Amino acid sequence: MSHSPKPSSSIQAKQEPKLFGTYAEFDNVGQLLAGCRRVRDAGYLKTDAYTPFPVHGIDKALGIKPTILPWICLACGLTGLTIALTMQIWMNAIDYPYIISGKPFISLPAFIPVSFELTVLLSAFGAFFGMLALNKLPMFSNAVFTDPRFDRATDDRFFLFISADDAKYKNDSVMKLLGDMGSGHVSDIYEDTSSDVIPKPFFVAVGLLALLATVPLLALARMRVTNSGSPRFHVFYDMDFSPSKDAQKVTTLFADGRTMRPDVPGTIAIGQYDEVLDFYTGIDMEQLSRLDAPRATRLVRAFRDEPAATEGETLAEDVAETAKEVATSQTEATKAAEKGTSGEKAASDKSDSDLTPEKAEPVADTPKPEAKKIEQPAEPSAPAVMPEPSPVPTKVEAAAPVGAVNAVAPAAPVAVDKTPWLKENPLPMTSETLQAGQKYFEIYCAVCHGNDGGGNGLVNRRAQRILATAWVQPSSMHQDTLYTDQYADGKLFSTISNGIRKMPGYSAQITAKNRWAIVAYVRALQASQNAQMEDVPGDKQNELKKLQAEVAKRLAEQAEAEKKKAEAAAIKS
Amino acid sequence: MTDHAAPAKLKPADDPTFQLPTSLSNLAFPLAIGGALLLVVGVVVGMAAGPSARFTMSAYLAAFTYCLSISLGCLFFVMIQHLCRAGWSVVVRRVAEIMMIALPALGIMFLPILASVWLGEGTLYKWDDPNFAAEKGVPVEVWTEKARYLNGPWFTVRSLIYIAAWSGLAIYYFRLSRRQDETGEITLSERMQARSGPAIMLFSLCTSFAAFDWLMSLAPTWFSTMFGVYIFAGSILAAHCAIAVFIYLLQSGGSLRDEVTVEHYHDLGKLINGFTLFWAYISFCQYMLIWYANIPEETEWIYARQVGMWGTVGLALIFLHWMLPFLGMMSRHVRRNPNLVFGWACYLLVMHFFDIYWIVMPEAESAAGGAMGVLTTVLLTFGMVGLYLGGVLWFTQANNIKVIAVRDPRLPESLAFENI
Repeated sequence: MSHSPKPSSSIQAKQEPKLFGTYAEFDNVGQLLAGCRRVRDAGYLKTDAYTPFPVHGIDKALGIKPTILPWICLACGLTGLTIALTMQIWMNAIDYPYIISGKPFISLPAFIPVSFELTVLLSAFGAFFGMLALNKLPMFSNAVFTDPRFDRATDDRFFLFISADDAKYKNDSVMKLLGDMGSGHVSDIYEDTSSDVIPKPFFVAVGLLALLATVPLLALARMRVTNSGSPRFHVFYDMDFSPSKDAQKVTTLFADGRTMRPDVPGTIAIGQYDEVLDFYTGIDMEQLSRLDAPRATRLVRAFRDEPAATEGETLAEDVAETAKEVATSQTEATKAAEKGTSGEKAASDKSDSDLTPEKAEPVADTPKPEAKKIEQPAEPSAPAVMPEPSPVPTKVEAAAPVGAVNAVAPAAPVAVDKTPWLKENPLPMTSETLQAGQKYFEIYCAVCHGNDGGGNGLVNRRAQRILATAWVQPSSMHQDTLYTDQYADGKLFSTISNGIRKMPGYSAQITAKNRWAIVAYVRALQASQNAQMEDVPGDKQNELKKLQAEVAKRLAEQAEAEKKKAEAAAIKS
Repeated sequence: MTDHAAPAKLKPADDPTFQLPTSLSNLAFPLAIGGALLLVVGVVVGMAAGPSARFTMSAYLAAFTYCLSISLGCLFFVMIQHLCRAGWSVVVRRVAEIMMIALPALGIMFLPILASVWLGEGTLYKWDDPNFAAEKGVPVEVWTEKARYLNGPWFTVRSLIYIAAWSGLAIYYFRLSRRQDETGEITLSERMQARSGPAIMLFSLCTSFAAFDWLMSLAPTWFSTMFGVYIFAGSILAAHCAIAVFIYLLQSGGSLRDEVTVEHYHDLGKLINGFTLFWAYISFCQYMLIWYANIPEETEWIYARQVGMWGTVGLALIFLHWMLPFLGMMSRHVRRNPNLVFGWACYLLVMHFFDIYWIVMPEAESAAGGAMGVLTTVLLTFGMVGLYLGGVLWFTQANNIKVIAVRDPRLPESLAFENI
C-alpha cells in the first residue's frame, strides 16, 4: 500500500490529500461494458469495474489478462500428489517397512486414495488461497469507500474506476473520457486520510485471548508431569475394555474353555512345512530308522499325521526314550547325580534332590513305568515306549527324568545317549543366522541363562534373592558337557524344542528355523569363551594386540606401584 | 462476443437451420439398412463359424449395451437438466432427447437376449444352465438362494420392467418437449422439472439393477454393489460425448451454427473431462475394495480381467480411457476448441466400447476368439451402431423433429450463455 506518510503536523493535515483515482457511475451494464471497452482501447491498464453482480465478459471488456490461477492450482495438485506418494513410500517401505494386509511395501493401489485426497486438498488450497493472493485479499480498506455514492455498487449502480497510479493517468483527460460515456456522475477519489492506527483495545483483547489460549496447554502440561489416582479419562475407547484374555486363562467363548486355540488338527502353519523331518527333530532320521526303527516310525507319524498332538506326543515319547537311555546307566549315574555336579549343586539342596529319578517319579506319570522296565533290559523296548497317555503335556515337560539326564550327563555322557543327533546345524552359517539367533536368544533364553549364556540371568538372580525353593539353576553354556563334541547341535536343538528339567519346550513360541539359529548362536557364545588369537580376523589382530600390550603395561605399572608402596610401608614399619 | 444485456437473437421456429441437415438425413437409410444387414451377417457368421454361440451372444450383448448406455446416459442428461433448471443446456438438450427416444426401440433389440434365456440353456447366461452349480462346485444351499433371483421367468419380468420404465420416461419427456415446440407453454417446463426428481430415482434403480441382471450376472457367483454405478458412469460419459459429436455433425451440416457456441462446447468439454475422472474414480473404488480385501468369492471377476489379454486391455483402459483424455482435456483452451472437443469425444466413444467389451467378453471364455471372433465382434458392433444411428436419424427426419427446443422458455438464456 502506497499510503503517504501519516500527517504528523497540522500543516500537513491542511494539505490536499493525494489523488487516488477517478470513477464514473452508470445506470446499466450496457453502458458500463461500452465504457470499459473505451477505457481499455484508450490504453489504461490500472482500471477496475464494480458491479452489484457478476457480469459476463467484463474481463475482456476491461482487457484483463486470463488468470494464472489454473497453473497455481495444477502446481499445488502435483505437489500434493508428490508429497502423498513420497510420504507413503517413505513411511511404509523405507522408514518402517510394514506388511499391511499382505500387500507389498510399495503398493500403488493402496496409495491411491491418500494421493487422490492430498492432490485434491492441495489443489483446493491452491485455488482458494491463490485466488485470495491474486486479488490481494483480504483488503481491509479501499479509498473508494470514502465516497458515499459508492455504496450503491452493491445495490443498483455500476462503477468504472481508473487509478491515479496508471502511467497514462492525467486528471483532465480521464475526466473528459469518462464524462463522454453518458455517465450520470464522474468524480475524483482521494486517498483515505483517516487514521490507520489500530485501536489499543484490539491489542488488549488479542493479548487476553492469547493468555486464555495457554490455559488448556498449561493444564495438559501439568497433567503430563503429575500423578493422579483417578481412573484414566477415555476420550477414545479403542480396545481398552475389550474382553481379551491372557494366555492359559479360562474363557466361556469356546466350548473347551481354553483361551489359547490349539492348531487345527491336520494343518501346518504357513512356512512350517518341510519334507525333511531332521530339521524339526534335530535327529538324523535315516540313521535313527536303522538304529531304532519303531521310534523313527513314531516320530514320523507324530509329525506327519497330527501336528497338533505332535508336540505333546513326541515329547512324551522322547522323554520316555531318553529316560530309558538314562536308565541303562542308572546305577552308576544315580550316585553321581546325587552327589551333584558343580553348577547344579549351587542351585539349592531341594532342587538337587529333585533331580534324582527316584524322587522325580511322583511328579511325572509317564516315565515311571519306563524306569521300571529299564531294570529288565531283556524286554523289547518298543512296547515299553508305547505312550502311556500323559494327561497334561506340561507335566511331561517338567518331567524329572529328563532333568536326570542332564544331571547324570556329566558323569556318563556319551555312553548313554545313542540317538543319532544331527552333528551340524542345517542353517547356513551367515551373519543373518547368527543375528537371528542372538535376537531370539536374548528374547527367550537370556532371562534365565543370561546374555552371556553363563546361566545367571535375571530370573535366576531373582530366584536366588528370594531363595526360591523349587528353582533349578539354569545351565551355563560354558561347560565341557555342553560343547559340540559332547552335546551335538541336534541335541541342543531338541532341548530347546522340548525343554529339560524346569525349562519348558519352546517349539510353540520359536520357529524351527529360529531355534536352529539359537543353536548357532550358543555355539558362537561358547567359542567366545575359548577364543585364540587365530580366531580373530587379521585386520583386528593388531588392534587387539595393542590393547593387550596396554593392559599388560598397566598391570605391570600397577604391580610396580604396589610393590613400591609395600616397600615404603615396610620401610616405615 | 455477446453482451450480457443484449437481447439474444431468436430465429423463427421454422428456421431451416433447426432441421436435420441433409448431410445427415441422407445417411439415415444407408446406415439403418447397412447396419441391419451387418447385424444379420454378424449373427450368421458368429453362429456358423464363431468360437461359440456364447461368444456370439456376448458380442451381441456388448454391442447392444454400448448403444443402450448412450441412450440411457442421454435420458439421465435430460432429466438432470430439468432437475436443476439448467439454462445453458437448452440448445443441446434436444439432441440428447433424440438419442434417448431410441430406448423403446432398443427394448426390441433386447429380445434376442431374452430369447437366449428361454431357448438355449446357458447360451449367454451361465446361471441359465441347470448344470452350472454342479460343474462349478457351488454348494447347493448357496445356489438355491441364488436361483430364486437368477431364473428365467423372474429375469424376464425384471427386464421388461426396466425397459418399460426407461421407455415410459423417455416417451414422456420427449412428448412434452415436442409439445412445447408448438405451444411454448411454460407449465410444461415446470411439469418436467417437478417429475424429474422421482424419475431420476426410478431411473437409477432400473439402471443399477439392469447392470446387475444383464452384465454382472454373466458371472453368476460374483457380486459388487458398485457395479451399477460403474455402468452408469460409463453411460453418462458416453452420452456427453455423443451429444458433443452429434452437435458437431449438425453444425458441419449447416444447422444450429448460430445457436451452439464455443461456450456450450466448453461446458460439454468440462463435463466430459469431469466424467472421465468420475468413471476412473468409480472403477477404481470397485477395484480397490475387492483388491484390498482379497476374498476369493469377490476376486474372480477382477482376476479374469487382470491376467493375460484382458489384463492388457484393463491396464490400457486406465491410461487410454482415463489418463490420456483427462490430461488431454484438462486445459481450458482445448475445451474451448470445438474441433478438439469433437475429437476427444469420438475417441472416448471408442474407448467406451472397449470398456463395455472388457466387462462382457471375458465371461465368454474364448479370449478374443481368433480371427472369426474378431470378425463377429466387428460385424455385430458396426451393425448395431449403424442400425442405432440410422434409426435415430430416420426417426428424426420422418417425424420432422427440430434439433433444438425452439420454444423452450430458457432458450434465450442458453443462447446468451457465456462462461466466465
